Amino acid sequence: MLFVLLLFFLSSPTSVWANFDYNAKEFQEVVNQLDMQGHSNDDLATCKVKQMYYKEVQEMLDEGMTPEEIIEFYVAEYGQSALKEPAKDKSGLIAWSMPIVGVLTGIAVLFYWLKRGKKKVSVDSSVPEIAWESEEDKEITEKIFEEERRKHF
Amino acid sequence: MYIIGNLSLYLGIGIAFYSIILYVWGLKNKNNKMINSARGGVLSLVLLSSIATFLLLYNLGTSQFQYKYVAAYTSENLPLVYKLTAFWAGNAGSLLLWLFLLCLYTGFLVFSKEKRNPMMPYVSIIMLLNILFFFIVIVISGNPFEMTETIPADGKGLNPMLQHPGMILHPVTLYLGYVGLAVPFSFAIAALILKRMDAEWIKLTRRWTLVAWVFLTLGNIIGGWWAYLELGWGGYWAWDPVENASFLPWLTVSAFLHSVMIQERKGMLKTWNISLVIISYLLTLFGTFLVRSGVLTSVHAFGDGNLGAYFLIFMVFMIVLSLYVVLTRYQLIKKETNPIESYFSKESSFLLNNLILVGGAFAVLWGSMYPLISEALTGTKVNVGPPYFEKVMAPILLGLIVLMGICPLIAWQKATFERFIKSALWPLIAGVISAIILVAIGIKGSFAIVGLASTVFMFASHLKEFYDGIRARRKATKESVAMATCKLLVKNQRRYGGYIVHIGIAVIAIGVISSHAYVKDTLQTVSVGEKVEIGDYQLTFNGLTEHSKNGNGIVVAALETSYKGKSVGTINAEKIFYETWPEPATEVAIKTNWKEDLYVVLSSWESKDKATFQVKVNPFVSWIWFGGMLMVFGTAIALIGGKTTTSRVYKMGIQHKKAGV
Repeated sequence: MLFVLLLFFLSSPTSVWANFDYNAKEFQEVVNQLDMQGHSNDDLATCKVKQMYYKEVQEMLDEGMTPEEIIEFYVAEYGQSALKEPAKDKSGLIAWSMPIVGVLTGIAVLFYWLKRGKKKVSVDSSVPEIAWESEEDKEITEKIFEEERRKHF
Repeated sequence: MYIIGNLSLYLGIGIAFYSIILYVWGLKNKNNKMINSARGGVLSLVLLSSIATFLLLYNLGTSQFQYKYVAAYTSENLPLVYKLTAFWAGNAGSLLLWLFLLCLYTGFLVFSKEKRNPMMPYVSIIMLLNILFFFIVIVISGNPFEMTETIPADGKGLNPMLQHPGMILHPVTLYLGYVGLAVPFSFAIAALILKRMDAEWIKLTRRWTLVAWVFLTLGNIIGGWWAYLELGWGGYWAWDPVENASFLPWLTVSAFLHSVMIQERKGMLKTWNISLVIISYLLTLFGTFLVRSGVLTSVHAFGDGNLGAYFLIFMVFMIVLSLYVVLTRYQLIKKETNPIESYFSKESSFLLNNLILVGGAFAVLWGSMYPLISEALTGTKVNVGPPYFEKVMAPILLGLIVLMGICPLIAWQKATFERFIKSALWPLIAGVISAIILVAIGIKGSFAIVGLASTVFMFASHLKEFYDGIRARRKATKESVAMATCKLLVKNQRRYGGYIVHIGIAVIAIGVISSHAYVKDTLQTVSVGEKVEIGDYQLTFNGLTEHSKNGNGIVVAALETSYKGKSVGTINAEKIFYETWPEPATEVAIKTNWKEDLYVVLSSWESKDKATFQVKVNPFVSWIWFGGMLMVFGTAIALIGGKTTTSRVYKMGIQHKKAGV
């Protein structure tokens, strides 16, 4: 009787013994980080690659590996491309910092430009306005300036 | 048919070339006859591209499998509507669609009421350069009229994922947006060539830019809707490189639509506006290069042949042309640009809004390109997927939402802090109260709560603008609320149309934040009669059935559904096995109410009585689609109104002067 029971247990598929199903927190923690060769956003029902990864991760968890160890295993196997995002250590520094650098540079340029503009406004307001003899005079002069500008630039 | 199709393409190259030469010659010699002849050439191009388009539609609709394109993307049993929409399923057809739209836009432009505008020949030349490029590329690398060596009995069929109403509209709207951006680009270059740095080119292109922007918006929203219903992973935006490629010009054009108001009103930001228009157009080329070259992995990419290389060459040509024109006129633009007078003004807040939008575009571009950059620099490809974009873009988009709440409340030219606080008080209170309510009802996640509260603040500040406007009208005219609302909209469509667009964005933001932060998800195997419980839903599995439709095998899982203990009917999650396609397709079962979607995917089955389901409850997803519609509605209102308040006041002033008042 004992022998029959042992035989039944040994022949059962691993899923019967699975401690971690696909809803387990640890399982989700791992699969949410894996790129799965670009298939991580595919429909699990139809994507063979995603199904294979899910099975592998579940088996590794059942074998007693921690989520960190599984991630390390995949990074050792496929490099950083195993994951969905760049590492948060020195190797991924450029990837993470560039958007911040971009926005900060933008802010710096913006403030420089505003400051320069303000200076120009204060200088302009200190210069007395030219008094035109008539509106016609003003228009003609403006037109001449406009033509000259177009010629030269 | 073969001859007519090919002839229309080859003739297109000749006529596009002829029109460009005549335009240049006509401009050089100031010969109107030549310019008129070139204009006739544009009309011929509209005709030729229409002939090619209708021929391809005819071939697809009547299953002419002697054509490679028809055999590759359709099959005999495909419903007619999908036979026709297979037009844009492949490279060759989508290029022809692009060309057709480009010719239509150019035709409308050249024969519009502005046809005598001195800028128009230059605009036409730029548009014709685009047309010429597309005709050449189609003939060399993507001819939809290429014949097969032997006629197959049936075609390979259309990818099942593309057999969805979303795919009827998504590519067309997106292409209308992409192509539309060539118009403001052409006007900007024309204005630079002519050294006309006033706001004329902006006024002439305002509607074109808005049309292109609204189509880009629609294209992205419909694309998200299609992905949500058809791809079966429960999301609507995957930060895929190709999706990012369509998001990039949307961001920069959004920035342009705001900064352009400053140039119109104050004559400021001329260099910036020209740069934004040029960048937006170049980003459309860059997006197309990404889709066609296959340099980045994407579910949307075509990636075959040398098309990517051709687009790269054309993009480089346009960059060089733009740079040359801008640099040679830089002193002129600079000279004519006015500075901003105060740090605290609507102008400054618009600048900040531009900074955030362009900063966001930079972050998306950087993330999309980083896999390539890392591979080139270190030899190791580093992926940049949704978690990266969500972490980087979340604070940027939050900043944008807060600013969208602040902007309408700040005055032009010079605002005072006291006055601003007075205007912002009620919206701020609404934001804070909403945050307190969210915490009180047990909502977790500080960032999501901040995001939702900021959205409420933004929404409230826009409502306040409407309220103040209506109240002022009623006070002055004693109109009813409905009449005052209508008149307020009619009298200033641009402003209030824009506000409706902002409200649409607020609605979308609620959908996006909630569906990201509060999704419930489970994967369960159940036997007949067993239940899956998730959120307020209870689903009872009633077993699998099988039937066939149009030669395709369909497995249906029926699930009796109850919501808060009350039966809401049966939903069917399906798996379809297509006769002409190796992979089965998923048909998601969705039950929608105003606050959440029940989303069920039939994952696998062991027997007729035992199956595995992926079940999700996605909160407020339907708000995203509704918000998208609001954005389109708001843009339509803004499109109807063409004049700014200042220009109207100016015009009224002239009329008064003439009348001697």
